[in-house]
Amino acid sequence: MQYSQKVLDHFMNPHNVGKMENPDASATEGSPSCGDQVTVYLKINEDNHIIEDISFLSYGCASNIATASIITDLAKGKSLEDAKKITYEDAMEALDGLPPVKVHCSVLAADTLQTAISNYEIAHGLKEVPNFGKETILAELKKIIYPQVGTDIVTLKMVKYVGFNDGEVMIDMNMMSFDSWRENVAEEIHEHLEKYPEVKKVEINFP
Amino acid sequence: MKSGSVYLDNCVTSPMAPEVLQAMLPYFSERFWFPGSFYSTAESTNEALSGFAHTIAEAIGAHADEIHFTAGGTIANNIAIKGIAGAAKKGHVICSVVDYPDLLTNAAWLEKQGFEVSYLSADSEARIDLAALKQAIRPDTFLFMTTIVNHVVGTIQPMKEISEILKAADHKIYLHADAGQAFGKMPLAVDDYGIDTMSISAHKIHGPQGIGALYLRKGVRVAQTIHGIKRADNLQPGGLSIALIAGFAKAVELNFADLLGSIRQLRELSDYLYERLLEKIDHIELNGPQGEGRAPHNINVSIDYIEGESIAMMLDMHGITVATGSACASQGLKASYVLMAIGKNHVQSHGSMKFTLSRYNTKAQIDFTVEKLAEITAELRKRSPLYNAIKNQEK
Repeated sequence: MQYSQKVLDHFMNPHNVGKMENPDASATEGSPSCGDQVTVYLKINEDNHIIEDISFLSYGCASNIATASIITDLAKGKSLEDAKKITYEDAMEALDGLPPVKVHCSVLAADTLQTAISNYEIAHGLKEVPNFGKETILAELKKIIYPQVGTDIVTLKMVKYVGFNDGEVMIDMNMMSFDSWRENVAEEIHEHLEKYPEVKKVEINFP
Repeated sequence: MKSGSVYLDNCVTSPMAPEVLQAMLPYFSERFWFPGSFYSTAESTNEALSGFAHTIAEAIGAHADEIHFTAGGTIANNIAIKGIAGAAKKGHVICSVVDYPDLLTNAAWLEKQGFEVSYLSADSEARIDLAALKQAIRPDTFLFMTTIVNHVVGTIQPMKEISEILKAADHKIYLHADAGQAFGKMPLAVDDYGIDTMSISAHKIHGPQGIGALYLRKGVRVAQTIHGIKRADNLQPGGLSIALIAGFAKAVELNFADLLGSIRQLRELSDYLYERLLEKIDHIELNGPQGEGRAPHNINVSIDYIEGESIAMMLDMHGITVATGSACASQGLKASYVLMAIGKNHVQSHGSMKFTLSRYNTKAQIDFTVEKLAEITAELRKRSPLYNAIKNQEK
């Protein structure tokens, strides 16, 4: 795998790694079956909402560890409002890029940070629990990266139709039968949507 | 140990023996003629060629004229499988879900051509299901193909039992064997197992890359799959490097001079590796069978709670080369299909490490590897949410 020197540095000597005792918020995303899982812990100043400490745990490949490391660097010392603006593109840029098949690792790291922040805000009455709906599904689909090119499937117009009715998600995909990434993408869609208690069934249709 | 000094991925390709290079050199310079050439100067080449074929034939209990040199094991597999199917024209083929990709991709191609293929399942140690084989045989079954030594977990297939089942059928079923991992790692006489066609490769036994051979039992008809000018061989037309063939024969000579001794040496080394792994690393398990049912050069383990690409990259930084079954390290982001087929879960596949040894490995190298692996495991587990969760439960 062709990694930048920055990725290798953060992989070999990750920053802010380790379990945090008594964090103010935490989140775990990904799943062992997909080969990557990240946990982010936050310590937040209650008065000014500054992220005073942050740490992570990672089960995954080198880029998984490196992107989790860099995301904690980017968030540390920032206010929640500023940290909410951190995207996976920021993480990639800070690491001097990632191979296309590894972009999904940076998405996972950024996503876990955002979920941890959201968990804090909900627990402290700073925001309401968001309603689950089509927007949530689309937001999740935007986090799924087509490994061949390293861009998300919504931007690539691979998602033709999204429906949500009575706990059932229906998605029509625009991916040809000879596309060798169909199985990977389908697995990721299931993983991203089935973590919501509102989702009872996910049906994905390919042409 | 200095960087780049421990190579433990010998099942992919192995370092060439110095004697092999020496044996090849004259054929690159003063004896450069093509095998099969007509003119008188090439006659000595033709003689040498039949000597090389004889050396290789002897190693598998075959006749020299049953050896067809090919540009590697994959070409040999293609000539045999497509050739036998082409001669049969239609019908049914059997293989298994744990076979080498050469066989599985050929099976998929045969299906596209209108042949029917049954894929046998395998047990938890990657041994194919013999009862299922008996049941799968149909009146139109014309070919059974198998990978004698599994390329991932080193399982030796029960070849004797397989050949008895095939012989008991009331019509002829050809047996094609991929011996890429078996050749030179176990006694392998084609008559003992009723093998009709078999692929072997030079570079997995310290020979040169780019040369292999097809064993084709006398009387077995194969349709022509590669077309072109006939040089040394009908089935593999075009020029083949006599130098590579000379190197192949030398590698066979070295490997088979004391086959049982070299098997014993490999087995001792892999036993040593496995014992050290168990001693230094907890939450680790062997994939595939233990002992005599396993090829002597293969150890495949799953290290729980951490991921293989990370492990392999850290080992690489210490100059240690090993393989992993992790999806993250594969081009298609897929877990090892062999490990999944024998009932391992994703985490076991992602954390699987495959060590394949050669006669050039030493116990000192193994000590170094296990020491580094233990350090790496401890470091990655410290970072792993799965391991932290387990530790929490233990508290």
